[in-house]
Amino acid sequence: MKTFLKKVAAQSPWLYRINAGSCNGCDVELATTACISRYDVERLGCKYCGSPKHADIVLITGPMTTRVKEKVLRLYAEIPDPKVTVAVGICPISCGVFRDSYAIEGPIDKYFPVDINVPGCPPRPQAIIEGIAEAISVWRTRL
Amino acid sequence: MFSFLKILVRNLIQGPSTDPFPFGETFTPEGLRGRVRFDASACVGCRMCEHVCAGGAIRFEQSESELRFTLWHNSCTFCGLCQHYCKTKAIVLTEDWHLSHRQEEKYAMVEQGTVPLAPCLGCGISMIPVADELMRVAYRETNQDIDRLRRLCPDCRRKLGIKGVQRCKM
Repeated sequence: MKTFLKKVAAQSPWLYRINAGSCNGCDVELATTACISRYDVERLGCKYCGSPKHADIVLITGPMTTRVKEKVLRLYAEIPDPKVTVAVGICPISCGVFRDSYAIEGPIDKYFPVDINVPGCPPRPQAIIEGIAEAISVWRTRL
Repeated sequence: MFSFLKILVRNLIQGPSTDPFPFGETFTPEGLRGRVRFDASACVGCRMCEHVCAGGAIRFEQSESELRFTLWHNSCTFCGLCQHYCKTKAIVLTEDWHLSHRQEEKYAMVEQGTVPLAPCLGCGISMIPVADELMRVAYRETNQDIDRLRRLCPDCRRKLGIKGVQRCKM
């Protein structure tokens, strides 16, 4: 039963999106990759889910502002292992243009392990799909 | 009334509009701003790119013998200001957008280049050599006199200029 589940789960990693104080640019691109049939991330077996408890791949945008820090950490702790973390945009990777601000607590790899980085401001949908495809290959090794 | 039939037939002929990437080739629009390329031989060390960089991705380090340029793609917003302000075209944004990488390579996503300093022919102080590209931008044609000025530091150039004026007066 367990091996069967593993085999099935490898085909359909579920995505969960955390906005850690993003300007919404990367979130729009993430919505584009999911909702617009030209890009269609569901071809890879992915599906956005509403609850962190169902997530396999976590997509994080935003530079982790002081205001959302506690909430992001709580959400991240709720995601069951094994999980793969993808940082989308330059903000979660290095805080980008917001670096050294008093209201920024990032970059996010200070708080939890990141596996894939997708730089860009925002990255184009194809770049996000490339990152997600790599995240899926990482996730299959962790199952 | 039957306009949907037209759409139906068109869709049947055209096939799916989904981009085949990552299983096939995708398109790259012309003028897309992607990975940055730095050409050290064209850099004049004005540091304008460092000044205008929105994400603070560009850094210059000067040592005794060289000027080192570093650009970190993980902090770059790909706004293209550096390319706009680089008159000698030492910085060019390519159309390569394949930038996603593993966490291990996070700090390896850099573009680096070193401009070696050369001694001034007049006083021997080390200075950034004048790039060929700058000569092309500043003077349409060069001659022997201009070429001699090129190997002098600003101070020596000024001295030579003042001497030239005196000669004219006499």
